[in-house]
Amino acid sequence: MRYAILLMGAPYSDQASHSALRFARSVLARGHCLEAVFFYHDGVYNAARLAAPPQDEPHLTDGWVALCEQHDVALQVCIAAALRRGLMDEREAARHGKNGHSVEAPFELTGVGQLVDLSQRCDRLVTFGP
Amino acid sequence: MNLHIVNRSPASYRVHEQALAAMGPEDRLLLIEDGVQGALPALVRHFEAIPGRLFAQREDLESRGLLGRCDGEVQVVDVEGFVQLTEQAEQTLSWY
Repeated sequence: MRYAILLMGAPYSDQASHSALRFARSVLARGHCLEAVFFYHDGVYNAARLAAPPQDEPHLTDGWVALCEQHDVALQVCIAAALRRGLMDEREAARHGKNGHSVEAPFELTGVGQLVDLSQRCDRLVTFGP
Repeated sequence: MNLHIVNRSPASYRVHEQALAAMGPEDRLLLIEDGVQGALPALVRHFEAIPGRLFAQREDLESRGLLGRCDGEVQVVDVEGFVQLTEQAEQTLSWY
Protein backbone atom coordinates (compact mmCIF):
# COMPACT_ATOMS: atom_id res chain seq x y z
CA MET A 1 0.00 0.00 0.00
CA ARG A 2 1.00 3.60 -0.49
CA TYR A 3 1.09 5.63 2.71
CA ALA A 4 1.53 9.29 3.56
CA ILE A 5 1.89 10.91 6.96
CA LEU A 6 0.69 14.37 8.00
CA LEU A 7 2.60 15.68 11.01
CA MET A 8 1.38 18.79 12.83
CA GLY A 9 3.09 18.56 16.21
CA ALA A 10 6.31 20.37 17.10
CA PRO A 11 9.35 18.25 17.98
CA TYR A 12 10.07 17.98 21.71
CA SER A 13 6.85 19.86 22.63
CA ASP A 14 4.52 16.89 22.42
CA GLN A 15 4.74 13.27 21.37
CA ALA A 16 3.41 13.65 17.81
CA SER A 17 6.78 13.70 16.05
CA HIS A 18 8.03 10.64 17.94
CA SER A 19 4.78 8.79 17.27
CA ALA A 20 4.91 9.69 13.59
CA LEU A 21 8.54 8.59 13.19
CA ARG A 22 7.86 5.30 14.95
CA PHE A 23 4.81 4.71 12.78
CA ALA A 24 6.75 5.60 9.63
CA ARG A 25 9.46 3.05 10.41
CA SER A 26 6.86 0.37 11.04
CA VAL A 27 5.02 1.15 7.79
CA LEU A 28 8.27 0.61 5.89
CA ALA A 29 9.16 -2.51 7.91
CA ARG A 30 5.86 -4.05 6.84
CA GLY A 31 6.81 -3.57 3.21
CA HIS A 32 4.59 -0.64 2.37
CA CYS A 33 5.64 2.39 0.37
CA LEU A 34 5.78 5.61 2.38
CA GLU A 35 5.44 8.26 -0.31
CA ALA A 36 5.90 11.32 1.85
CA VAL A 37 5.73 12.98 5.21
CA PHE A 38 4.02 16.37 5.06
CA PHE A 39 5.06 18.77 7.83
CA TYR A 40 2.37 21.31 8.63
CA HIS A 41 1.62 23.84 11.40
CA ASP A 42 4.23 23.45 14.20
CA GLY A 43 5.30 20.19 12.58
CA VAL A 44 7.51 22.27 10.27
CA TYR A 45 10.03 22.64 13.10
CA ASN A 46 11.03 19.02 12.39
CA ALA A 47 12.82 20.42 9.35
CA ALA A 48 15.10 22.79 11.30
CA ARG A 49 18.59 22.00 10.04
CA LEU A 50 20.20 23.62 13.10
CA ALA A 51 18.40 21.37 15.58
CA ALA A 52 20.92 20.12 18.13
CA PRO A 53 19.21 18.03 20.80
CA PRO A 54 21.28 16.41 23.58
CA GLN A 55 23.20 13.41 22.30
CA ASP A 56 21.33 10.97 24.51
CA GLU A 57 17.96 11.98 23.02
CA PRO A 58 16.49 10.89 19.67
CA HIS A 59 17.45 13.32 16.90
CA LEU A 60 14.15 13.75 15.09
CA THR A 61 15.45 15.77 12.13
CA ASP A 62 18.17 13.20 11.49
CA GLY A 63 15.57 10.46 11.84
CA TRP A 64 13.50 11.94 9.02
CA VAL A 65 16.58 12.45 6.86
CA ALA A 66 17.51 8.78 7.34
CA LEU A 67 14.05 7.72 6.14
CA CYS A 68 14.54 9.78 3.02
CA GLU A 69 18.02 8.44 2.34
CA GLN A 70 17.17 4.80 3.00
CA HIS A 71 13.62 4.59 1.65
CA ASP A 72 13.24 7.57 -0.65
CA VAL A 73 10.51 9.12 1.49
CA ALA A 74 9.76 12.70 0.36
CA LEU A 75 9.97 15.24 3.18
CA GLN A 76 7.55 18.01 2.26
CA VAL A 77 7.30 21.15 4.37
CA CYS A 78 4.41 23.58 4.05
CA ILE A 79 6.06 26.80 2.87
CA ALA A 80 3.45 29.12 4.38
CA ALA A 81 3.71 27.48 7.80
CA ALA A 82 7.52 27.43 7.56
CA LEU A 83 8.17 31.02 6.47
CA ARG A 84 6.13 32.56 9.25
CA ARG A 85 8.07 30.48 11.77
CA GLY A 86 11.48 31.51 10.43
CA LEU A 87 12.12 28.29 8.57
CA MET A 88 13.39 28.79 5.02
CA ASP A 89 15.82 27.34 2.55
CA GLU A 90 18.60 29.27 0.78
CA ARG A 91 16.35 30.38 -2.03
CA GLU A 92 13.66 31.79 0.23
CA ALA A 93 16.29 33.39 2.48
CA ALA A 94 17.69 35.23 -0.52
CA ARG A 95 14.22 36.24 -1.64
CA HIS A 96 13.40 37.66 1.81
CA GLY A 97 16.82 39.27 2.34
CA LYS A 98 17.77 37.04 5.29
CA ASN A 99 21.26 36.00 6.34
CA GLY A 100 21.47 32.24 6.58
CA HIS A 101 18.91 29.54 6.07
CA SER A 102 17.28 27.04 8.38
CA VAL A 103 15.96 24.35 6.01
CA GLU A 104 17.99 22.26 3.59
CA ALA A 105 17.56 19.20 1.40
CA PRO A 106 16.22 16.58 1.62
CA PHE A 107 13.44 18.68 3.18
CA GLU A 108 11.61 20.59 0.48
CA LEU A 109 9.36 23.61 0.83
CA THR A 110 6.08 22.94 -0.93
CA GLY A 111 2.53 24.20 -1.01
CA VAL A 112 -0.46 22.70 0.73
CA GLY A 113 -1.62 21.54 -2.70
CA GLN A 114 0.97 18.78 -2.33
CA LEU A 115 -0.94 17.55 0.71
CA VAL A 116 -4.15 17.40 -1.29
CA ASP A 117 -2.28 15.52 -3.99
CA LEU A 118 -0.93 13.02 -1.43
CA SER A 119 -4.37 12.44 0.05
CA GLN A 120 -5.69 11.60 -3.41
CA ARG A 121 -2.70 9.55 -4.56
CA CYS A 122 -2.05 7.45 -1.46
CA ASP A 123 -4.12 4.58 -0.08
CA ARG A 124 -3.71 5.82 3.48
CA LEU A 125 -3.04 9.23 5.00
CA VAL A 126 -2.39 9.10 8.74
CA THR A 127 -2.38 12.32 10.77
CA PHE A 128 -0.36 12.94 13.93
CA GLY A 129 -1.60 16.05 15.71
CA PRO A 130 -0.23 17.88 18.73
CA MET B 1 -14.62 0.49 8.54
CA ASN B 2 -12.68 3.54 9.68
CA LEU B 3 -9.98 3.79 12.32
CA HIS B 4 -10.26 6.64 14.81
CA ILE B 5 -7.08 7.63 16.64
CA VAL B 6 -7.29 9.51 19.95
CA ASN B 7 -4.19 10.91 21.67
CA ARG B 8 -5.77 12.74 24.62
CA SER B 9 -6.71 11.32 27.99
CA PRO B 10 -10.44 11.20 28.70
CA ALA B 11 -9.53 12.39 32.21
CA SER B 12 -8.38 15.77 30.85
CA TYR B 13 -10.08 16.30 27.50
CA ARG B 14 -13.43 15.52 25.91
CA VAL B 15 -12.15 14.94 22.39
CA HIS B 16 -12.97 11.24 22.73
CA GLU B 17 -16.64 12.22 22.84
CA GLN B 18 -16.33 13.74 19.37
CA ALA B 19 -14.58 10.62 18.12
CA LEU B 20 -17.26 8.35 19.55
CA ALA B 21 -20.02 10.51 18.07
CA ALA B 22 -18.42 10.22 14.64
CA MET B 23 -17.95 6.45 14.77
CA GLY B 24 -19.89 4.08 12.57
CA PRO B 25 -21.09 0.66 13.80
CA GLU B 26 -17.96 -1.14 12.52
CA ASP B 27 -15.41 1.58 13.24
CA ARG B 28 -12.53 1.02 15.61
CA LEU B 29 -10.84 3.36 18.07
CA LEU B 30 -7.13 3.30 18.89
CA LEU B 31 -5.78 5.09 21.96
CA ILE B 32 -2.25 6.43 21.59
CA GLU B 33 0.04 8.75 23.59
CA ASP B 34 -1.80 10.14 26.66
CA GLY B 35 -4.98 8.66 25.23
CA VAL B 36 -3.91 5.25 26.56
CA GLN B 37 -5.08 6.36 30.00
CA GLY B 38 -8.54 5.65 28.66
CA ALA B 39 -7.67 1.93 28.72
CA LEU B 40 -7.43 1.93 32.53
CA PRO B 41 -10.31 0.33 34.46
CA ALA B 42 -11.10 3.69 36.08
CA LEU B 43 -11.60 5.43 32.72
CA VAL B 44 -12.64 2.72 30.28
CA ARG B 45 -16.33 3.44 30.99
CA HIS B 46 -16.02 6.35 28.54
CA PHE B 47 -15.74 3.76 25.78
CA GLU B 48 -18.46 1.34 26.88
CA ALA B 49 -20.43 2.12 23.68
CA ILE B 50 -17.85 0.33 21.49
CA PRO B 51 -17.27 -3.11 23.07
CA GLY B 52 -14.62 -5.15 21.25
CA ARG B 53 -13.56 -2.19 19.12
CA LEU B 54 -11.22 -0.41 21.53
CA PHE B 55 -7.44 -0.68 21.10
CA ALA B 56 -4.48 0.85 22.92
CA GLN B 57 -0.88 1.21 21.83
CA ARG B 58 1.51 -0.99 23.76
CA GLU B 59 4.57 1.28 23.55
CA ASP B 60 2.67 4.24 24.97
CA LEU B 61 1.27 2.12 27.80
CA GLU B 62 4.74 0.81 28.57
CA SER B 63 6.40 4.24 28.61
CA ARG B 64 3.80 5.37 31.15
CA GLY B 65 4.13 2.30 33.36
CA LEU B 66 0.58 1.24 32.50
CA LEU B 67 1.22 -2.01 30.66
CA GLY B 68 -0.65 -4.80 32.44
CA ARG B 69 -3.03 -2.34 34.06
CA CYS B 70 -5.53 -2.17 31.19
CA ASP B 71 -9.14 -3.20 31.42
CA GLY B 72 -9.82 -6.64 29.92
CA GLU B 73 -12.03 -5.10 27.23
CA VAL B 74 -9.07 -3.33 25.64
CA GLN B 75 -6.99 -4.94 22.91
CA VAL B 76 -3.34 -3.95 23.26
CA VAL B 77 -1.41 -3.60 19.98
CA ASP B 78 2.19 -2.63 19.28
CA VAL B 79 3.16 -0.18 16.53
CA GLU B 80 3.07 -2.97 13.95
CA GLY B 81 -0.49 -3.67 15.11
CA PHE B 82 -1.22 0.03 14.65
CA VAL B 83 -0.08 -0.23 11.03
CA GLN B 84 -2.18 -3.38 10.58
CA LEU B 85 -5.24 -1.51 11.87
CA THR B 86 -4.64 1.19 9.25
CA GLU B 87 -4.30 -1.49 6.58
CA GLN B 88 -7.68 -2.93 7.51
CA ALA B 89 -9.44 0.45 7.74
CA GLU B 90 -10.62 2.32 4.67
CA GLN B 91 -9.37 5.56 6.18
CA THR B 92 -8.08 6.93 9.45
CA LEU B 93 -9.29 9.92 11.44
CA SER B 94 -7.09 11.49 14.11
CA TRP B 95 -8.65 13.35 17.05
CA TYR B 96 -6.44 15.62 19.15
